[in-house]
Amino acid sequence: MRIIKLKKDNLSPFLEIISVEADLWAPVQKGDKHVFKVVDDFSKVELNTTRTILPPRKIFLPPTFSMFNISEKGYKEDLSHIKKRILFGIHPCDIHGLLILDNLFKQAYLDPYYLEARKNTLILGLSCWPDEYCFAKSTNTHIIEEGFDLFFTDLKDFFLVWIGSSQGDDLIRLKPELFDENLTDKDIQTYINWHTERDKAYKWSINFTVLPDLIELKYMDPLWEKLGNSCLACGSCTNVCPTCNCYNIMDKQFLGGKDGKMIRHWDACTLEEYSEVAGGENFRKKRSDRLKLWYTHKLQAYISKYGKPSCVGCGRCIATCPVDINVRTVGKALLGEEEDAFWVRLNMEVTK
Amino acid sequence: MEKKIKDKLKIGIYELTGCAGDALLILDCEKELVDIFKAADIQSFLMAKSDNIDGELDVAFVEGSVSTEREKKELLDIRKRAKTVVAIGICACFGGIQAAFLDKKDWEKNFKKVYGDNKMTHTKPLQSKPIDAYIKVDYYLPGCPIDKEQFLSTFNRILRGNPPELYRFPVCVECKWNENDCLLNKDILCLGPVTRAGCGSICINHNLPCVGCWGPVENANLTSEFQLLREKGFDSDFIKKKMANFSGTGIADFLGELKGEKR
Amino acid sequence: MNGENKHLTHDNPFLPEPARIVRTYYLTEDVKFFQVRIVDMEKAHSFNYRPGQFAMISVVGAGEAPFSISSTPSRPGLLEFCIRKAGAVTNALFRMKENDLIGFRGPYGNGVPVEKMKDKDIIIVVGGLGAAPLRSVLLYSLDNRDQFRRISLLHGAKKPAEMIFREEFFALKQREDLECHLVVDEDDTGTWTENIGVVTTLFSLLKEIDPVNTYALVCGPPIMYKFVIKELVKLNIPKDQILMTLERRMKCGVGKCGHCAIDYIYTCLDGPVFTYWDVIHMRELI
Repeated sequence: MRIIKLKKDNLSPFLEIISVEADLWAPVQKGDKHVFKVVDDFSKVELNTTRTILPPRKIFLPPTFSMFNISEKGYKEDLSHIKKRILFGIHPCDIHGLLILDNLFKQAYLDPYYLEARKNTLILGLSCWPDEYCFAKSTNTHIIEEGFDLFFTDLKDFFLVWIGSSQGDDLIRLKPELFDENLTDKDIQTYINWHTERDKAYKWSINFTVLPDLIELKYMDPLWEKLGNSCLACGSCTNVCPTCNCYNIMDKQFLGGKDGKMIRHWDACTLEEYSEVAGGENFRKKRSDRLKLWYTHKLQAYISKYGKPSCVGCGRCIATCPVDINVRTVGKALLGEEEDAFWVRLNMEVTK
Repeated sequence: MEKKIKDKLKIGIYELTGCAGDALLILDCEKELVDIFKAADIQSFLMAKSDNIDGELDVAFVEGSVSTEREKKELLDIRKRAKTVVAIGICACFGGIQAAFLDKKDWEKNFKKVYGDNKMTHTKPLQSKPIDAYIKVDYYLPGCPIDKEQFLSTFNRILRGNPPELYRFPVCVECKWNENDCLLNKDILCLGPVTRAGCGSICINHNLPCVGCWGPVENANLTSEFQLLREKGFDSDFIKKKMANFSGTGIADFLGELKGEKR
Repeated sequence: MNGENKHLTHDNPFLPEPARIVRTYYLTEDVKFFQVRIVDMEKAHSFNYRPGQFAMISVVGAGEAPFSISSTPSRPGLLEFCIRKAGAVTNALFRMKENDLIGFRGPYGNGVPVEKMKDKDIIIVVGGLGAAPLRSVLLYSLDNRDQFRRISLLHGAKKPAEMIFREEFFALKQREDLECHLVVDEDDTGTWTENIGVVTTLFSLLKEIDPVNTYALVCGPPIMYKFVIKELVKLNIPKDQILMTLERRMKCGVGKCGHCAIDYIYTCLDGPVFTYWDVIHMRELI
């Protein structure tokens, strides 16, 4: 893979040039957090972010969108939310998240909404520095070798830019003079130092290889009841997870004629209604059963199918769950480690 | 094509004790109002028209809680006349703010404080209760006020003979869709996790915490929410008041459970 | 399964295909029979499926839901469903009349492995609405009678009036190439001439079986499985020859919406027909 150099000051002009024909999505500040947003003021693009509140999947499958326009003539595919886009500033873990979603949306039947949006979006990755929640090194998703058109490693004064696809190369060609093809030994040493330091910067880690067995062995452990007692069933962990894909459908009708829309919206297996069938039977009435499903799926089931967890170590569940139920606390609890978490302190009587 | 009047569903929109905000919201559907009146035979809608008829109904939308003997009578009559009854707004669904004093003694004490020994001649006052305290309710459309989109969708589905399709999850879901930062994580008393969605997390979008005005979501984990807020340093009575503020009877069981415990 | 799975409609697997209700009538008080034809004649004729597969049926404005196909691919052209009134979609379907249009897409799921069952004995155990998917296998095996050895039907219902396909199954009793045992939990009519009790009592009526060469198919209310499987295991039928079809919430039918997931299994792709061996290894299945 070809690697070239871009001076820091040249980034803004580059983004400006490439965003002429596509919406440029990049991380910007929202409150004291960050979100992906369409930007036209390139000085607002945040380079030193950790995670955005929602993962970038929202750009491919928005929380709610119309699948079909319904009229008297029947259903008509609605791809109107899909535009040409460039996604800049996506971190390695989130690119891995997209690769995991790719597996799912290509499995057996192709999902045209997701795949069409993927096809129309260029991925411009950006390196990052871990904070206290990140654990991408444990999931081996802190580095990325595929799934991007360009990848920018931020080395303070300049970027090293990996060219991952011919579309990525086309972007460079829009203004090649912004880039420098010649890397010096010093540049390379700077990269090596950055890499070593960055890998050392992960503040915690977890051994994922043992978790599938532990989930099996501790399937009936009272731990799950404790988690269920404190879980607010608010769906936040699923909504912020870069690999969650579940959705629900609603038929929206307009007054007057027969016109309507079929709306697809994000759903979460941690929500009460998720496993309820017509007639009211609910296969996972208990919060603990629904949590078990989520963690089994992320840390066991996906591994047995694809050889890696469906977790990319982004730390969003850790940053988001108000009652400390997240991959770190649950993982550590499965490993038998003491955790200072709300659900431990709640320490309620375990109901059977 | 406009249906003939005899083929249209007969609909009544009624207001009991409340701020009439839900009826006002229906009236505020300016763009759709003509369609609403075209699609259905609106027999009674006090806020919108003067020629109201009290006859047989296909659907009755009832706003407000029952707080007088007269309202109770009116409600029983509506139920008799209507095939389907839909409670609209938090007051009709859970009693609303006027049902915040769930305890009969509390209510009597407060009633006395406000009205003193004045005689009520017009009708007998009752402790404010949601309409399902007196009649069977087919569908609930909560909100304070109800959401326009949800009302139109519900109205439309009922018109076509389909049950309403409402969000059955907490505000947090919509809040995340709107990519808000969690206020609970900033130690702010937010009732999002225990409150039913549908509002589009409008308060949190404006950096204000959820006050629970849509009432409790099904099987809300009130215990955990309560304990979490306690741990964040909020006073027990304060949390209870906040929870009871809008949800009225919706959280009566939980408050009852708490009573036995000293926290 | 890799890449493009063939489905009825074009490259959007979620797009419903218009279909017409040809016939509809009540089977019991709350179960209705629907005969449906895909409007596009070419598609209607080339439409093929396996017994035990399901389809997604939609009614504009009400929504979409999964239903087992009750007809057999050996009688192409028309598709049959028996549907219980339970939610928004079924309520809307019940209001529809002959000639009305519905949305249809499918077939989905694995279906019953009929080719593995060739030259084997088949025991079909049905409880209540469980007849919906298993009628497909039953009719298929009767239409291809020479491909299978003994065929037995054990059918249970709560009351005579709740037995779906009542006339059809009673008529089967006349056939000599099929062992057909019917039972009701209680007879409130006083006219029931068949057995009374739960479906498991019928096992004693089965002539001696050849377990290694027997496939058993079970479908019924969740409570039924445990007891029926116990009987089948007692008969020494191998665990991977005991098949059951399961119900889950589904919103897509094509492995995307997640609702039917159990561990790494999607009921819509890897089911709805599972073997008892699968069930043992997935705690949540039944």
